[in-house]
Amino acid sequence: MQIAQPLQVAVEELSKLPGIGKKTALRLALFILKSNKESVDQFIKSLSELKSKLRLCSRCFNLAEDELCQVCMSQKRDKSIICVVEEASDVIAIERTNEYNGLYHVLGGVLSPLSGIGPESLKIKELINRFNSENIKEVLLAINPDTEGETTTLYLAKLIKPLGIRVTRIARGLPIGGDLEFADEATIGRAVNGRIEF
Amino acid sequence: MILSNIQLKNFRSHKSLNLNFSSGLNYIIGGNGQGKTSVIEAIVYLCTAKGHTVKTDGEAVCFNEDRFEIAGIFRGETENRANVIYTKSQNKKSYFKNEKKITRAADIIGKFPVVLLSPDDHAITQGTPGERRRFIDSVISQASETYFRNLLDYNKTLLQRSSLLNQIKDHRSKNMLSELDAWSSILVRTGSYIIKQRKRFINSFNEYVSQSYALIMEQAETPEVFYAHLGNYTGEDIEKEFERQIARRKEEEIARGTNLVGPQRDDFIFSLNGNNLKTYGSQGQHKTFQVALRFAEFFYLKEITGTEPIFLLDDVFGELDTHRAQKISQYLTNVEQAFITVTDLSNFSFLKRNETDNVIMLKAGEVTYA
Repeated sequence: MQIAQPLQVAVEELSKLPGIGKKTALRLALFILKSNKESVDQFIKSLSELKSKLRLCSRCFNLAEDELCQVCMSQKRDKSIICVVEEASDVIAIERTNEYNGLYHVLGGVLSPLSGIGPESLKIKELINRFNSENIKEVLLAINPDTEGETTTLYLAKLIKPLGIRVTRIARGLPIGGDLEFADEATIGRAVNGRIEF
Repeated sequence: MILSNIQLKNFRSHKSLNLNFSSGLNYIIGGNGQGKTSVIEAIVYLCTAKGHTVKTDGEAVCFNEDRFEIAGIFRGETENRANVIYTKSQNKKSYFKNEKKITRAADIIGKFPVVLLSPDDHAITQGTPGERRRFIDSVISQASETYFRNLLDYNKTLLQRSSLLNQIKDHRSKNMLSELDAWSSILVRTGSYIIKQRKRFINSFNEYVSQSYALIMEQAETPEVFYAHLGNYTGEDIEKEFERQIARRKEEEIARGTNLVGPQRDDFIFSLNGNNLKTYGSQGQHKTFQVALRFAEFFYLKEITGTEPIFLLDDVFGELDTHRAQKISQYLTNVEQAFITVTDLSNFSFLKRNETDNVIMLKAGEVTYA
């Protein structure tokens, strides 16, 4: 296939994005090519600002525009509870629910000896330090319930509990609006094991 | 559920092959090297996304080719199509069910239940404990997706934990030891689930084994399967014992950099009339036991999943005496669908044959239906 060099480069760059194959990349590149100059400039600007303007909150490692993220700066949040998550994307997922009004702490991963990720590679020391500088009463662990996530949850619970702070974890179970008969066995099994009393 | 058609492209010795099957017995006849076992293996691929003789998928690709394709049509209450495509140069395997790509093994295993009886089964009663665990795990996994997922989780935990044990061996720190505690707790949690499920399974499986054994043998020999777990622990508190052993052997595990406690070290013991088969069994008793285990697997899966598994018998009749082979073939007439490979039907005149049997001859890539 012979295509113009700039187009070929653009296709290659676009296909590096997750979920984008060569065909989709070509479609996107041709779409951008057809768009007017202003909208392309706007697009480029938004991408480059993503990198230049965003950094990690120095307190909770969530995405931030300033030294602290919006959650840490807000006066309206409950400053006695910290929700511990794996990645900044999990903060976005929880924020979208509007159900949680406390603070966050982003670990930046989970324990995985095979990938050489131990407690030192995660923001665990920083979390413990927050207990000294802030008045934290509860830590809510909201880490993905896979093998590595479960181990990290357990590790943190054992680490934090002796410090006299309440440790909780998010419940596991059936999705809202989901039919019991269509849920997979593992989910139902966990929901049964984690049943709560009325 | 029956498999009604299979198409192979560049799979093992078959450049291109299209076979129609019927319910009941399907005999696949051909001399050595005509690709009988390849057909059986293709069916195993459709049901499990893996082969049973090849060590890697690459070995299943035709010589000088890059990609094999297997397509099958299953008919039950609904019609389902399954496809397996493997490309050697990219080492990429894809599984499709009704043209929809399936990525998780847990969504494949047990959906088209299958039981395979082959000469390799000698390893179940005569081989290492690992072969027995593989057999038992594959039966439970086909019946329970939850078990299969826990097994995958457990294996991942083992890998993570042994990696950490090795790191501690090289440079020990307090942080690492408390991380090890966390991995140990998860190991105990998932591992105890696996042990309990295996215990439960063996309790009900034993009945299927004795029924199947009686089907093949008239003499009153009583077969039994025992599950030896956590050393030879016989108590009920699996978690506590697991924790106790793992605490006791912690230093040994660190020194050797490997997991020493858990269901990955368990064994299953087969006995006849209370005598250990491995020590006292004759070749004939071993063979009968292997056949009985596969029949038990078949009845168990049929009962638990509510779907009658496809029964594959690869090159089995040559190894059995006429009497036993006859009993087996008699029984097979009741099975919804079975596939039987033999070199030459005339050598097996004792086989119970039915009008509706499907006889497929393979010779030099040509197919004839008799």
